[in-house]
Amino acid sequence: MGSNPATIIRLEQVSKIYGSGNTEVRALFDVSLVVTAGEYCAIMGPSGSGKSTAMNIIGCLDRPTSGAYYLDNVDVAGLNDSELAHIRNRKIGFVFQQFHLLPQLSAIENVMLPMIYAGVSIQERQERAADALKRVGLGNRLNNRPNQLSGGQQQRVAIARAIVNQPVLLLADEPTGALDSHTTQEVMAIFAELNASGMTVVMVTHEADVARLSQRIVWFRDGEVLHNNLSPDALSEVTVPS
Amino acid sequence: MDFFESLKMAAKTLTANRLRSGLTMLGIVIGNASVIMMVGVGEGAQEYVSEQIEGLGPNVLFVVPGSQETQRATFNVPKTLVLEDAEAIAEQVASVDEVAPEFNDRGLITRGNRTSNATIVGTTPGFTAVRNFTVQQGRFFGDLDMRRSNPVVVLGPDLAERLMDNRDPIGQQIRIKNVSFQVIGVLDEKGSNLGLNYDDAIIIPISTMSNRLVGRTSPYGIELTYISVSVADEEQMDAAQFQIANLLRLRHKIVGEDDFTINSQQDLLEVTGTITNALTIMLAAIAGISLLVGGIGIMNIMLVSVRERTQEIGLRKAIGASQQDILMQFMIEAVILSAAGGLIGTGLGISGALLIGVVSPFQPGVSVAAAAVAVVVSGGIGLFFGVVPARQAAKLDPIVALRSA
Repeated sequence: MGSNPATIIRLEQVSKIYGSGNTEVRALFDVSLVVTAGEYCAIMGPSGSGKSTAMNIIGCLDRPTSGAYYLDNVDVAGLNDSELAHIRNRKIGFVFQQFHLLPQLSAIENVMLPMIYAGVSIQERQERAADALKRVGLGNRLNNRPNQLSGGQQQRVAIARAIVNQPVLLLADEPTGALDSHTTQEVMAIFAELNASGMTVVMVTHEADVARLSQRIVWFRDGEVLHNNLSPDALSEVTVPS
Repeated sequence: MDFFESLKMAAKTLTANRLRSGLTMLGIVIGNASVIMMVGVGEGAQEYVSEQIEGLGPNVLFVVPGSQETQRATFNVPKTLVLEDAEAIAEQVASVDEVAPEFNDRGLITRGNRTSNATIVGTTPGFTAVRNFTVQQGRFFGDLDMRRSNPVVVLGPDLAERLMDNRDPIGQQIRIKNVSFQVIGVLDEKGSNLGLNYDDAIIIPISTMSNRLVGRTSPYGIELTYISVSVADEEQMDAAQFQIANLLRLRHKIVGEDDFTINSQQDLLEVTGTITNALTIMLAAIAGISLLVGGIGIMNIMLVSVRERTQEIGLRKAIGASQQDILMQFMIEAVILSAAGGLIGTGLGISGALLIGVVSPFQPGVSVAAAAVAVVVSGGIGLFFGVVPARQAAKLDPIVALRSA
């Protein structure tokens, strides 16, 4: 392909169609998108615009109906289930709105989880998990259960879990949706810090304040990309139906 | 992901929810305990019965009234054997050593103000030789007592103790059904035998019994409950059996079906062996059903657990668990539950069997092999019933799973 090695995400005319015949729903139609290494990109759009579907395809949780998707220059469209699981484990770090920490595990055990599936030895797991938690400012909360942590702290544990396998892409789905404005600041600062140290970040959000902290905004509408590279400063110029 | 990690993860999940894990295991615990206990009881009963039959001696034949068919069909066995049959066997069958006809009845025994309900056995002096009884005190009755229908009795040791109040029983007068008898001897202890406990019985000459007690002296014979025959040489068991059968057929003028049955110790062992085996299998099958129900219980709870943990499953998939990892995790949880339940159940079953041994006359068998099989089987049940929920978990779509609230 001779593609730029710094390209992390490349969607080429990706469509996602649910159902068939009369009940056919086009969630994504002919979407092309390129995200290069080190970018901090926010995906916005009204609900039903296809941003979640795009997110799932980018996160290798779903396969496109047609079109090609290269993640870190690997064509993932033809991969089977366990190969996709491997990609998710090694190349992508997920952060969710609802944190999705396992309640029976401590903070450090939650962070160690992706490394268990990666087959990392127990000592290395502990060291790397502790490092990741220090990086998000929770070095003194290693053995707390999720229910002993605040919402912001739980989301920071989730971020530590996302980065612990050193992925090429940090994928966040409404990461501040369940947080108040104060803890939103806290969490966004960590994303900014991670991006500053070279991590590629793609974040789905409907909060303009959050999107403004990114470098680039991709705007979805009706399953298509309306704006491919909107500057955060120009955000006020587009109508934002929330 | 390696197996050891899966094991640790499953253990963590199960211990996080102890009450539920415990209750889920309960079905397997009870199933396994009952299998082990029931098989143990069955084996114990089998051994107990065999021991009793073997106590009869290998050279003894039992002639009982009624064909095998009628014995199987009814409790009301026709009385087809008479005392003369026994005498004929003794006189005419050369291979026979001694003959002990028996007529058994029950009645009230009194001495002074003591009364006791006991089995009354009417027999001949040959009884001690054939049935291998000895007298600990006094003597057994002889031919003279027989001929004269003397009112003499030999007591079983337990009955003697109950009636005599530490007094020397020999020479005491007792009353059977209001007829006066003199005690002339006490048997040695022997324990119960084929359902009849001679330790608690009273033995009298069969002539006395028919003349003075039962009133069945008739020119047409004195009925018998059965005849036991000892054969001089064990090699001649078959010959003796054949000769006795022929003699009785002649005497009873039989052309069709026999109206008596001759059993050897071996025959009895085979018959009771078949019965107790069937009993053991039946008990084990009933217990096995409860094991099965326990397995279904595990499947049920695992299915609920998959439902409850959809978010966890979705997350695990998102961070890199393959379908196989998830399948493995749930299978291991099911197997741990059932195998642990199996181990606990085995422990309970063994203790239960030992307890039964303490309170019952026989010793339930506790076989290591049965215990091992039970644990392996219950583990297998977990494997079998874990497949459906584990597959359901593995097939979950991570997107749907993560979005489920």
